[in-house]
Amino acid sequence: MKKGDAFEVKDLSEEVQATLPEVYVDDLLVSIKYFVDEEESHLRIKDQEVCGRCRHKPCLYFCLVNVYTLGSDGKIQVAYQACVECGSCRVGCPYENIDWALPRGGFGVAYKFG
Amino acid sequence: MSTNEKIRFDAIVVGAGLAGSAAAMVMARAGLNVALIERGRKPGGKNYFGGAIYTHAIQEVLPDFMERRPPFERPVTEAGFWFLSSDGGLTKMMTSGGKLANEPADAYMALRATFDLWWAEQAQKEGAFLIPKTTVTDFIRAEDGRVIGVITDRPDGELYAPVVIICEGVNNLLTQKLGLISHDLVPAHQALAFKQVLSLPMETINARFGLPDAQHGVAASVLGDISLGLPGMGFIYTNKTTISVGLGVMLETLIEYRLKPYEVLQRYLQHPAIAPLVEGGQLLEYGGHLIPEGGWREMPKLYTGGAMVAGDAASMVNALHWEGTNMAIIAGKVAGETAVVAHQRGDFSEQTLARYEEQLREGFILRDMKQYRNFSKFLDTHPQFMDVYPSFLNDALGNFFSAYGKPKRQLFKEIYGSLTGRRPLFKAVGDIISMGRAVLGW
Repeated sequence: MKKGDAFEVKDLSEEVQATLPEVYVDDLLVSIKYFVDEEESHLRIKDQEVCGRCRHKPCLYFCLVNVYTLGSDGKIQVAYQACVECGSCRVGCPYENIDWALPRGGFGVAYKFG
Repeated sequence: MSTNEKIRFDAIVVGAGLAGSAAAMVMARAGLNVALIERGRKPGGKNYFGGAIYTHAIQEVLPDFMERRPPFERPVTEAGFWFLSSDGGLTKMMTSGGKLANEPADAYMALRATFDLWWAEQAQKEGAFLIPKTTVTDFIRAEDGRVIGVITDRPDGELYAPVVIICEGVNNLLTQKLGLISHDLVPAHQALAFKQVLSLPMETINARFGLPDAQHGVAASVLGDISLGLPGMGFIYTNKTTISVGLGVMLETLIEYRLKPYEVLQRYLQHPAIAPLVEGGQLLEYGGHLIPEGGWREMPKLYTGGAMVAGDAASMVNALHWEGTNMAIIAGKVAGETAVVAHQRGDFSEQTLARYEEQLREGFILRDMKQYRNFSKFLDTHPQFMDVYPSFLNDALGNFFSAYGKPKRQLFKEIYGSLTGRRPLFKAVGDIISMGRAVLGW
């Protein structure tokens, strides 16, 4: 995949796209146990201006738990509380614009089954 | 803090997963004073997999493992491939009996939150000191660059040891920090795997999967109409009173097509062949994890002065054979043994720790990793193995076992036509040859 401004998206055929069901992600999130760090976020957008000029904003889609959403002010909002620490956004952001750290010890996702 | 107040261990292990606890077990058993650092509240809490655990690896570290009552789910008594077609078809290629009837079984279904906790407890029983709720953020280095300890996110959280075994998992930021690999993970080489754990009564699981009792279980790799014709592979595992159903798709594919993983998963769960199996299952947990599928070419250097890397952090995964947990355990063990040798020699230099890689070269891990070095690229460049061939197989068998009142010669013509209509014959032959190359490492 190309990085930065050269990043391009690919499209599924309309036929295939139509087979994807709509899912209310909160129904899934309630099944995950977290110890939320109320004091600090382990995820941070480095520069909102970069997000502003990112045409395709893939982070709004590929995150497993929909951490990244577009606010009404046009800025990317980060619901770090829902993060399962998979690391995809760190390496998937075409502009490497996400500061990604592990949560402080004891915080974050705590899978009950795995 | 003055020097005599430094907290010292003989060895530090970063991460109480499969590799880390194996390393800690081996070292503690040999009499070393081992710190086993885990960032979760409990070992296993950060881990997510399909999945099944192979006993050959456990046995190498813990010969009497069955007497220690591992929290296994069902044994894998039936394993193989399911091919789904877009018109709802399902073709199964399963094997059972034979080696799969061994006792104890070669592989057991497991859930990582319980299994990893038990695995770490075995290390603690050998005397390893578990330090949970602690994230390692950096290393302490000697003047010559050798690793002599770790810095954690605890106040005054510096721990010293002449050897550190890094089992930090797929997001190998510490490994990168040490310069053992020069770049962060590459989306083209990572699969993002995600699943749901669904609760169903034991009898329902038995009935739906054709199992006589909870001492029998199915592990299936699911191909075909599950990842929208894009590179990806599904799985379904029967636990005792739950089933684990999910799939892995290359991260780059998810990003470029802007797919929502939970939608792809829901589509899979709604497939006419899957829906009746999961129907009524109560969602106990959704989650996911990256799988490092870059293979041999994406492996970091495995050691440096005072440190070694094992498991997912070292990209020890064989994507074709769904192996990774076994490699993690064996690599953790070999790293632990190497640390013991280093203590005997009183030498923790890079030259001494090179034994770790030498030993891995003699075993299956590095041999397999090298042999399969071309495979991870193979599926990227041959997506037809995920899509065209599974649906052909469904058609072919569907035709073969249907009596349409047509002459058989015509039937075989149709089967042949259903292949060549999807993929010209010369290309199909080419596919088989390149698959052979990818698997045999030519």
